[in-house]
Amino acid sequence: MKRALLWTVAGLVVLVYAFPFVYLVLTSLKPPVDAIAVPPTVLPQRFSLDNYRTALAREGVADSFLNSVSTAAITTVLSLALAVPAAWGITRYRTRAGRVLLAGSLLVRMTPAVAIGVPLMGIMGGLRLSDTPTGLALAQTTIALPLAIWLLASFFESVPREIEEAALVDGCSRPAALWRVILPVTSGGLAVTGIFAFLASWNEFLFALLLTSLRAQTTPLAIANLQTQFGLDWGPMTALATLYSLPAVVLTLLLQRRIVAGLSLGAVKG
Amino acid sequence: MSERRYALLLVAPAAVVLLGLVGWPVVRLLLDSLYTGSGLTGARRFVGLDNYVDALTDPAIRAAAGRTVVYTVTVVFAELVIGLGMALLFHALGPRSRMLQTLFLYPLMIAPVVAGLLWRFLMIDNFGILNELLYRVGLVDSPAAVSWLSDPDIVLFSVAIPDVWLTTSFMTLVLYAGLQSIAPDLYEAARLDGAGGLRMLRSITLPLLRPVIAVALVIRGVDAARAFDVILVQTDGGPQSASETLSLTVYKTMVTFNDPGTAAAVSTMFMAVMMAVALVAARTLWSDR
Repeated sequence: MKRALLWTVAGLVVLVYAFPFVYLVLTSLKPPVDAIAVPPTVLPQRFSLDNYRTALAREGVADSFLNSVSTAAITTVLSLALAVPAAWGITRYRTRAGRVLLAGSLLVRMTPAVAIGVPLMGIMGGLRLSDTPTGLALAQTTIALPLAIWLLASFFESVPREIEEAALVDGCSRPAALWRVILPVTSGGLAVTGIFAFLASWNEFLFALLLTSLRAQTTPLAIANLQTQFGLDWGPMTALATLYSLPAVVLTLLLQRRIVAGLSLGAVKG
Repeated sequence: MSERRYALLLVAPAAVVLLGLVGWPVVRLLLDSLYTGSGLTGARRFVGLDNYVDALTDPAIRAAAGRTVVYTVTVVFAELVIGLGMALLFHALGPRSRMLQTLFLYPLMIAPVVAGLLWRFLMIDNFGILNELLYRVGLVDSPAAVSWLSDPDIVLFSVAIPDVWLTTSFMTLVLYAGLQSIAPDLYEAARLDGAGGLRMLRSITLPLLRPVIAVALVIRGVDAARAFDVILVQTDGGPQSASETLSLTVYKTMVTFNDPGTAAAVSTMFMAVMMAVALVAARTLWSDR
């Protein structure tokens, strides 16, 4: 009896949290006029893909997907390439430099993006990287890298010292031991960290707003730009938002257990 | 090569990149805050701390600072209450609630821009589904009863809803992991002593969960205080600046009013206050029991 009540309460809260996204997807499948009908209905009365057609036909929208993918890919690779040695150095050798870096990346997390975004505009201009996926990816690395260092450090924490020592005894050099022995053992943690770095870039908006204009525009900007002088183009917005969120949502559902492990590890241990 | 050297070599690249991409911009920010004049026209003049004085005496900026505090407290408090409730529920229901947990997790992966626009769509006057549903259930007496995003008295709380929706599951996840690390014998012993559910929550669960709650609160507090895109796409800070928090003020001072000096001064103080508050909060919540 009491358990049934608990299940009901939990189910209701989850339903409330699930509703907005379900409604987004359902609305995207309505004809554009029905999307803003008064009074609104939850279920589509008629089915149509017009919102998707309109949204994708907009200038720059298709390109923005490419930009989002390449920016997120560069951010992920760069963050992992830097975070793997750094996190290993921090957890395995426990030097003062490591502690400083760990504390430093926590401070970076507290820096408002809007504060460093403006100076970064000037710096990217100087490097001739304005309005390029590489420039944007460098800026987003300031978000993804500290996150990756913290996550990987907590994953490496659970690797027994003996594994590295055994590899060294077998004649491996230290870098080779990291690359060929430690990384394979922690591949799950590496994957989770990669996903978080990717999503940090995929969902990022402020740096994209400040550092790109038309050429390197990512999709979050394209979605926000569906704003017209008559207000927002709601139907196409729902279509584009659905397309952009779907990969992330599907990924969560598939990799739920690993993502949970990564998130709670990072926060509880950190 | 000595172990120390090798360790230094491992952390150096990441440190250099963070110094270049965050440290250097912060230095430039500090320098900018000491000058006046627009960066575009090139006419810059050293003014010392004048920008700070201007910012601190500007009623609009002070109001934005106040709103940032209200917004942050609202978001974090709502998330803690719902998040802790759900963590306790999932914990009580056991592994069979995994399906529900997965469904509850997904908003975490959605872009804040999308969340902001989506909720603006749900709360919009006229064709918003939120009022319509509240009306059908009988909670309000007309579909136009609440002007979520156009009533200056409530807008600051309305714009916080998507932020809460996005990250409550983060709170739940972290607290749930914390709950699982509490030894079951403690509850067993308490039950033998005749303690009820509420008593156990107050005397065992909450005190033992305290460090975990502290970490979650600080992380989420820092993020909520910096919120930008969620608010920008919902109201752009309006109506009448009623939902304009400091991140938006800095952005507008810079981009709309082209006043990099004041923007830099506000950013600098914002950053300093946030670090100080986070440190103090982490200390007090973490250590004394």
